Amino acid sequence: MSTEKISVDQGLLYYLIKQVRPDLAEKISKAETIETMIVGLGRQGTRHAQLMMEYGTNVTCGVAPGRGGTKVHETIPIYETAAEAVENHPNIAVASIWKHYSTAKDSTIEVIKAGIPIVVLISEFIPLRDVRDILVEARKHKTILFGGNTPGIIFPPESIKVGMLPDIFQAQQVDDIVGPKGVTILSRSGAILYHLSDALASAGISQNGVLGVGGDGAIGSRFIDLVSLVMNFEHTDLVVIAGEIGGMQEEILAQDMISHPEKYTKPLVAMISGANAPEGKTMGHAGAVIAPGQRYGTYNSKREILEKAEVTVVNHQKDLIDVVKSKLNKTYFEIEDYYKKMKEKWNAKPPEPTWGTLVTNVMPNNLLIRGYPLQEVIANKGLLETSHLLVTGEFPNLEKIEELEKIAKEAAKEKFSERLDISPNSDVSKIIGTCLLLDSHISEFMKKSTDESAIIAFSLGRALRYLAIIFDNLEVLNQISIDNISFADMIYLGLVGEEKQEKQKTRLLEAIITACVDHGVTPPSAQATLILASTRTSFEVALSAGIQAITDVHGGAGQKAAEFFLSVVEKAKENNIDLEEATFRIMKEIIKTGKRIEGLGHRIHTRDPRRDVLWNLSEKAGYAKECVTVSKLVSDVFFRVRGMNLPINVDGVIGAIIADMDINPKLAKAVFVFGRIAGLGAHYYEEVTTQSPMRRLAFDKAVYKGPSIREIK
Amino acid sequence: MKLYEYEAKQIFEKHGLVIPKQVAAIEQIEELDDLSLKFPVMVKAMVLIGGRGKAGGIKLCSNIEETRENVEKMFEMKIHGCPVKKILLEKAVDVANEIYMSVTTDPATFDIVIVTSASGGIDIEEVARTHPEKIWKKIIKDNVKDLPDDIAEEAAIFLVEKNADFLTIKDKLSNAIRSLYNAFQQVEAKICEINPLIVTKDNSVIAADAKIVLDDNSLYRQAPLLKSINIDPRSKRHDVSEQTVYEEQAYKIGFPYLDLIEHPEDFVKDKDKLYVGLVPGGAGYGIFSIDEVVNIGNRYFEGKVIPINFMDSGGGPSLIKVADMFHLLMDHPATDIIITSRFGGISSCDIFIRGLIMSLRDRFMSKKRMIPVFGRMVGTDLAAARAYLEKAKRETPEPLKDLHIVIGNQKIMADVIRDGIDYGFKVKKQLIEKEVN
Repeated sequence: MSTEKISVDQGLLYYLIKQVRPDLAEKISKAETIETMIVGLGRQGTRHAQLMMEYGTNVTCGVAPGRGGTKVHETIPIYETAAEAVENHPNIAVASIWKHYSTAKDSTIEVIKAGIPIVVLISEFIPLRDVRDILVEARKHKTILFGGNTPGIIFPPESIKVGMLPDIFQAQQVDDIVGPKGVTILSRSGAILYHLSDALASAGISQNGVLGVGGDGAIGSRFIDLVSLVMNFEHTDLVVIAGEIGGMQEEILAQDMISHPEKYTKPLVAMISGANAPEGKTMGHAGAVIAPGQRYGTYNSKREILEKAEVTVVNHQKDLIDVVKSKLNKTYFEIEDYYKKMKEKWNAKPPEPTWGTLVTNVMPNNLLIRGYPLQEVIANKGLLETSHLLVTGEFPNLEKIEELEKIAKEAAKEKFSERLDISPNSDVSKIIGTCLLLDSHISEFMKKSTDESAIIAFSLGRALRYLAIIFDNLEVLNQISIDNISFADMIYLGLVGEEKQEKQKTRLLEAIITACVDHGVTPPSAQATLILASTRTSFEVALSAGIQAITDVHGGAGQKAAEFFLSVVEKAKENNIDLEEATFRIMKEIIKTGKRIEGLGHRIHTRDPRRDVLWNLSEKAGYAKECVTVSKLVSDVFFRVRGMNLPINVDGVIGAIIADMDINPKLAKAVFVFGRIAGLGAHYYEEVTTQSPMRRLAFDKAVYKGPSIREIK
Repeated sequence: MKLYEYEAKQIFEKHGLVIPKQVAAIEQIEELDDLSLKFPVMVKAMVLIGGRGKAGGIKLCSNIEETRENVEKMFEMKIHGCPVKKILLEKAVDVANEIYMSVTTDPATFDIVIVTSASGGIDIEEVARTHPEKIWKKIIKDNVKDLPDDIAEEAAIFLVEKNADFLTIKDKLSNAIRSLYNAFQQVEAKICEINPLIVTKDNSVIAADAKIVLDDNSLYRQAPLLKSINIDPRSKRHDVSEQTVYEEQAYKIGFPYLDLIEHPEDFVKDKDKLYVGLVPGGAGYGIFSIDEVVNIGNRYFEGKVIPINFMDSGGGPSLIKVADMFHLLMDHPATDIIITSRFGGISSCDIFIRGLIMSLRDRFMSKKRMIPVFGRMVGTDLAAARAYLEKAKRETPEPLKDLHIVIGNQKIMADVIRDGIDYGFKVKKQLIEKEVN
């Protein structure tokens, strides 16, 4: 057993669920977790969802009309309706509602009708007529309804809170083991709940449940509905209610205690506020007003009848402590331990705001795409499979691969309506970025399909067509029939212009492209796409922005590296010296002019995880020639020149292989741009489906929240 | 929000009830000259508080001299502290019988409850206690929009049973109940009451008085209704009693605030006593902190401690609003010390401390009165709040030298209040000594 918390079926929340939905309780007992959902994901709902999860609450999903299918806090699915949520997560037992008062009624009724037994209605200022409609429905479904205007409910032994209560409550704890016993507190006011718990904890008295019943004039479950119920919970030793002036909740509870003393099996202490309140003035809470002339609702009316029911009434924090202490005559934990725990909270450093991505985990010398090591992906999977993995989180099945192949190939065949005037020196990023902006085929495709993976496959197909234009291979591409060619072969055709290549050669080019698919959210290209995605521009515009950020300093070094390797090989031949010596001489010259050696150095990796797999594949394909040899010794030569360790990076490796394949060095940048479309597409969709529009984007504060390391089966 | 009688009557009339013909609602005695009055006329002071009749706020006048005299008197009158700013003149009706009829909210279950009695015109709670058999009461459990006929019928039959004279007007009575109920639902009232509903000698059924209390929470969607009675739907009318300058100021800024001492503008302080301003967090603790200050004052300080205000500073106020809360109490002439508590649930300790520090810096730089602040903060965003407070104290120690905030729950609030009061008395003593010297 964990010493951190008790198992859920020992706790008060489970007990409450069991009273109204025994079947659900049974399922919860088996699943060993209580699922909750958030209704209304505005600023407060979203923020407190996070705080609830940090406390230990299992937040299964959210409900927000218009946002169905998206996610909150990167991983929590959002549904359009409560019914849909419950259909997908039948074990949900608690819902908290964070809607504005003008829409709270419909949402609450929807949740009640979906059969959720415990509803926490945070919203305040709900019109009375709406509250009555809610109550009619709640009675029909035997719902336990906390609120409106409740701060929520918290169960310290189980570490579950639903609502916005601060994390200051204390469970029973004996020899480091958390226990379910303590007092149960019910209160009409939020801050009073905190002050009561705080006072009791300072005397070593634990709370096994703290329930805000709501501060509004008309609320769901009242003291009379709840007090005897929680008293019957075996681990509740005493109940404290915090009442206040206004209304007659305390009076009807007392009346019931007088008429049915047998229902009230545990001691009750009432803390009533408002002994010094002026008559006739509403004090903040709509319910807290002493109506002149009425015989109920005053401090004295409440005190008198409660005392008649043999309830001890207090009006001072210290008195509460004394009375509860004397009634219980024991403590539930070491007070010292409690203060030690609290001290950690008040001395804590302010947390850094973070956000999450599930796409790529970038670690020094390791790159995980949705949990799979990128080198494994490069060695075993094709580009379309990888792009599907990036955007959906899993590899596609065979049927899906076929579908994506077909989409990509067809996309590559569709004519581009604009006439482009491309000079041989035009920059690849600029041309592809421009084509994306001018091309209407992608938006046309998106009218037919909302499948994100299909849209990215289609975009890859389109990009292949643009590349064929750039590398003057359009004619051969137009001639080919898509029935006779794989997408990988088609890529080779579009980029290099040659048909019917050996399998290994096309595979090598595809692997190089796959190596470039993604590097997390921090590269400038990903940042550009994310910024545009956060403003909800269309997909191809955000993609274009990301691609145009790929330049000589980011992702574009491959071309320069290829040229460097070729110059080394040429020099060696010319001067009849070995490759190492030629590298040394050229490098010295370059450094003398103050220029950098392209393809060397990486801000994160000292041994790029993509390096070896590409070298191996090039060897297998028979393209590990002089340039690849140079690429393997270039780092050592650099040390000889500069005395510094600078590892070869992926651009360098790609440049070397491209050079050895004897194809246009410009292709080195083209493959990077081409591959990155898959990653940028995934980031675009992650942003628009899991983050709020126009959020503050702190790229260096991203935290990887995807799967841990896994193997490709 | 309470409505004036003449407004409530107009609403009832729209829902099918008969009301006495309203001649005018006047605000000045001169307006009488422009009216063509038929006598006898009812002259009624329009105040939003009960007990008007006994206080002389309702008069039947049979000629213009009498009318003028009563109107003049009434405009000078204060009824339970409420000045009379408006007087309704309406046609007097002859009375054969008086009925009580109301649709309200059951305080126990929050359902709608309909009450009627053939013994109208008197205190209905008294009747309910002494003669419960004279009262017909029905709780409507399903919140229906329109009252079902059988229930209206049942009420009318009850009234006929109590008074056989009503047999001929049974339908009028059931219609009246239905109208009142439907009005209640449509204007989203908390209370709709007619006491008395008059049966005239010629068997007309007329609402001689009318009371409507609207639900503040639904006002936002009652714009047409509010416009029809000349109330700006965006600003709820302040009722009950006159606001103090500080209450008015808080109302404008937008947080609940009440002065606990009367006439704080020209109030003379007792030199021996300590006056405590409270910025307590939510409404519940706002009420409780008043009790705590009184209790602690009585137990440890010979009853010499006076809490001066109620405030609800909960619900996640903005930075500016937090600053305004402290400004208001530091501008308040009674305040000797401010005690504050921030137990951050929905509201953030961080925003609270930034707002508080902003107000202190502003006051220091504009040389306004500075009041010591004692308090505690716990809960949401505490770590960020602590970091900000420490930084602020390093950067600008002068304005913050009398800011004493306990971080985290190392002490319960009752002890913080006691420490604050103790400190307040010390500061007060020093000030008095300074003045003497």
